[in-house]
Amino acid sequence: MDSVGDAATRKRGRYALRSRARYSDLQRHVIGFGRELRRRELLATSSEIVDALRTIESVDLGDRHDVYLGLRSVFTSRPEEIPIFDEVFNQFWRRIAQPEDETSPEDDLPSQLEDNSQVKQSGESEEQLKLTSPEGEQPDDAEQGDEESLPLYSPVEILATKDFGRFHADEMAEIARAVLVIAKQLSTKESRRTRQASRSHLIDPRRTLRRNMKYGGTIVELARKRRKIRKPRLVLICDVSRSMDTYSRFLLQFIHAIQNTIGKVESFVFSTTLTRVTPYFKGEEITDALDRIARDVHDWSGGTRIGHSLQTFNEKWARKLLNRHTIVLILSDGLDTGDAEVLRAAMEELDARAGKVIWLNPLLGSKDYRPLARGMSTALEHVDVFAPAHNLASLAELGKHLSS
Amino acid sequence: MIEGIRRIQEMMEREHYVTDRSIATTAFLAMELKKPVLIEGQAGVGKTEIAKVLSAALDTELIRLQCYEGLDVNTALYEWNYPKQMLRIKIEEGSSRDAEEQESLIFSDPFLLKRPLLRAISAQTQAPVLLIDEVDRSDEEFEAFLLEVLSDFQVTIPELGTLQAKHRPYVVLTSNRTRELSDALKRRCLYLWIDYPSFEKELRIITTKVPGINDRLARQIAMFMQVIRHVKLNKTPGIAETLDWAMSMMALHQDHLDQGAVRETLGAFVKDRDDVGKLSGKPIDILVSSMNGIEEGDLSEWIQSVTQRLEKEVATR
Repeated sequence: MDSVGDAATRKRGRYALRSRARYSDLQRHVIGFGRELRRRELLATSSEIVDALRTIESVDLGDRHDVYLGLRSVFTSRPEEIPIFDEVFNQFWRRIAQPEDETSPEDDLPSQLEDNSQVKQSGESEEQLKLTSPEGEQPDDAEQGDEESLPLYSPVEILATKDFGRFHADEMAEIARAVLVIAKQLSTKESRRTRQASRSHLIDPRRTLRRNMKYGGTIVELARKRRKIRKPRLVLICDVSRSMDTYSRFLLQFIHAIQNTIGKVESFVFSTTLTRVTPYFKGEEITDALDRIARDVHDWSGGTRIGHSLQTFNEKWARKLLNRHTIVLILSDGLDTGDAEVLRAAMEELDARAGKVIWLNPLLGSKDYRPLARGMSTALEHVDVFAPAHNLASLAELGKHLSS
Repeated sequence: MIEGIRRIQEMMEREHYVTDRSIATTAFLAMELKKPVLIEGQAGVGKTEIAKVLSAALDTELIRLQCYEGLDVNTALYEWNYPKQMLRIKIEEGSSRDAEEQESLIFSDPFLLKRPLLRAISAQTQAPVLLIDEVDRSDEEFEAFLLEVLSDFQVTIPELGTLQAKHRPYVVLTSNRTRELSDALKRRCLYLWIDYPSFEKELRIITTKVPGINDRLARQIAMFMQVIRHVKLNKTPGIAETLDWAMSMMALHQDHLDQGAVRETLGAFVKDRDDVGKLSGKPIDILVSSMNGIEEGDLSEWIQSVTQRLEKEVATR
């Protein structure tokens, strides 16, 4: 082990001495490496790249394993990312390893110089990085950009742009009422956290003591606290394929109403592909929103590929949107034309990540319906609540499930 | 391997923790770059152990914060000791101090209950190891707070002012991946994924942790575990189970695995009723009987073929 270590130190010395000339090469490689990882959807922004530059100064550059393990701990944050990292690292290593093979006449210079140049490197690296990687400075903006660039169009899908017509005013009012009931039930979930309150049966000792200091510590007034209300996050995934035609208009109104009543809601529609529609419903008139969706979502009333659509959701959105407090609401009749295994796998993952999965099926309203559709029966294993959604009464009923 | 990494590996081995390069490298970088380490992996692969060993190796205090849902700042950071404050007020009755003096008296350090995070920040002599265990079980709100503490290691207590860490603690976070942690937190940390150990590593763990174990038995147990982890079980046994089992075998004076002994000690490493049903009987017989005469070189091939046979057998149940 000793001899390996010594050889490695010498090698590092050689690298560091020549690094003044080669320095920008190495830096470029590391930045390029980071960008490539970012392109492959790993967490690699400028702060990781700065860490990476510091890492390669701390480990033995001549030792592939050290460099590999060090950079891996900087750039990965999920086990699934490790194979991707490995692949990109191989290319990176080939690039930086090449100059190492050449021999340098300055091999035997004292090691003190090495330290100096290394200190210099770390100072420069952060400086220069800011200049060379401006887009990395605003990771949030970049993510926003990604969100907007979801695929919306595919020539294979049925190109049907539909007019939704107009809605009855009384229908709208009733929906709004039902949704308010649901929203109220939703927003009564108590957290274990507390906040101060004037009337409650929980006493807040900390504030009580402070408040009563003026009476010499005799407790005269009680300060109280109350459990905070935790609003769950809701993700709506609505089927707008042809078999759902009768219902989708109604359900979209439901989405619109819910999104404007409860804060944290994300909405998606799917037929053969998945489209995020959250932005359409923000504060707009329902009819305008529907018109715009009908214009933009090209596979409206096409076939159904639930499994595929949910898989897309898992890949693109699950990580950002789901946690143990998220309720996922799927509105679909479960008449899938896709692969049942894909649906099963997608539902399994959804179930594992979300707090609760609720499947609303309009067909459940008819007495003859049994969930025999191939897709539906596979998906059911991973559904917490399976309920009808064919009229307002059934939607009102839904509130109970959401808050329990 | 550079000197620093090797030294850490030696330090950890001295504390009887069987380590490998990836663990040592990450620990080394955490100290060099002064960053927290986020360790993820299946239950029972020794995530928490790393923090314990690190503190023993560095001869410093280990401060542990166990996360759970609803964990809040009062439990994690500090709380005032109300009973003590009230008693003090009683004692002070009739004293000449005015209300303001009394207030500053009872809101002072002796009346402060320091919870793990504050203890880690206020360590006086040397940097402690702060273990934030199962951070995935806390909620997002707490995660955001944690992020704040981990970025500048200072906290503000309204009655006392701002406290800044004299010695920046070594921070180890563990997660069982029940939920995704926020990108912001991940970005703050170095990442280490620990998988179930390889045959060689597990064998070393057994011989290190169960002194006096017979070579053949240790090898057989390690081989057995390699296969059993490939079978789809509800609860895949971790390293703790391996060690429990090895010790059970020792207690029964067994020097090798046979069908009878495995059957009797199954409870040491299979802790789920369905899994017991899946494995007992023929699957175990297949596994134990195929073990004889397998040399080191044939190991991976053996693992593969036995796993296949076992899966077929288990699937028919």
